[in-house]
Amino acid sequence: MVRLITHNLLACHAKGCNANNFPLQFKDVEIEIREAEFNPDFLRGFLPKIEWKALVDSARQIGDTSLPAEQPEMVDDDFLKSLHHVLLELHIEEGSMTCPNCSHVYPISNGIPNMLLAEHEIA
Amino acid sequence: MPRDVVSAVIEGDPQAYENEHVHGVYEQIASHFSMTRYKPWPVIAKFLADLPDGWVGLDSGTGNGKYLPLPLDRPGAVWTIGLDRSQNLLSIARHAGDAGDGKVIREVVRDDVLGKSWRPGIFDYSISVATIHHLATAERRKSAIKRLLLHVSPEHGRILIYVWAIEQDSLSKRDIPHDAGSSQDSNSSEKGKDIFVPWVLSQSSEASKEQATFHRYYHMFAKGELSELVSMAATELGLHVGPPLATEGRKGIEIVQDGWERSNYYVEIRCWQSKS
Ligand SMILES: [Zn+2]
Repeated sequence: MVRLITHNLLACHAKGCNANNFPLQFKDVEIEIREAEFNPDFLRGFLPKIEWKALVDSARQIGDTSLPAEQPEMVDDDFLKSLHHVLLELHIEEGSMTCPNCSHVYPISNGIPNMLLAEHEIA
Repeated sequence: MPRDVVSAVIEGDPQAYENEHVHGVYEQIASHFSMTRYKPWPVIAKFLADLPDGWVGLDSGTGNGKYLPLPLDRPGAVWTIGLDRSQNLLSIARHAGDAGDGKVIREVVRDDVLGKSWRPGIFDYSISVATIHHLATAERRKSAIKRLLLHVSPEHGRILIYVWAIEQDSLSKRDIPHDAGSSQDSNSSEKGKDIFVPWVLSQSSEASKEQATFHRYYHMFAKGELSELVSMAATELGLHVGPPLATEGRKGIEIVQDGWERSNYYVEIRCWQSKS
């Protein structure tokens, strides 16, 4: 599965690609929405690790505009529910992710992103 | 049914060797293998149960994903992302802990355990269970440990590594030959052994009942070899090995557990960083 929770942590690792290699850009995606259990304690703990701009931009790429451009200082339940939906309920089933730096393409198939590199692409 | 293991000799490119003797085998035996792997090891279950809410981790070599649903009493309090090279195992891991209704979906990513497809230091914890022992040289096993160290937070990252031991449980069904080949390339004072472990797969059809035997490559670790490899990996990354130092700007790791459980060796690592 690739959800934005995972996507926000992924970076390109092709040979020689060390800077500007994040976030990977979605292309030709098929999305499924599946309800997940809301866990505010998890979200509060995870919040400091999020690259906010990457999350907002990536959510927009796949058609969700519910998050504010700036991470709010006040973390209330409404905000956490939007965050929950964006991080954990949008499933990217098919499509691909392209590195913004070297344009390497990582395919997503049956909900599983393939980050394997061919031997000559490994750093 | 023969369960005995035989010595293995690594020839040629280690990556090609692992492709044939590890990855290729797991793709073929994935569903049968998964049926036999459902009980979590107590040390690993405890490690996961002790994690604080909100932590995100990587299960590097997740197999059928049996650790992804843990801890069971706090579902969703921590998120473990499963990584494996086998597409067939990942298809199973995606639904690990599912009641059969298809509702529970895990996060899984296809990659090699030597890959580094993550923002550096982004995980709070990582587990590597029965995985590093499938890498065919000491250098590659050490590289895999370096990856784990680089994946977790230098300030508070926790890592648990679990590998197969030469020292087998008396309940083990396996006989280890005394003449099994000692690793040629190990720098360790005590050497592990390179072996093949057979996996017998029955393929029943109406016409016939066929049996296919696959041989998986393992490096069985000797006593002390795992913690020594961890210390070498950490030192090469410029990390101090030992309890946290008060000296400003130092980074290090402490091995807080170094033990043996049911035919396996394990170490638990905690990362620390002094104030700068
Ligand atoms: Zn790239």
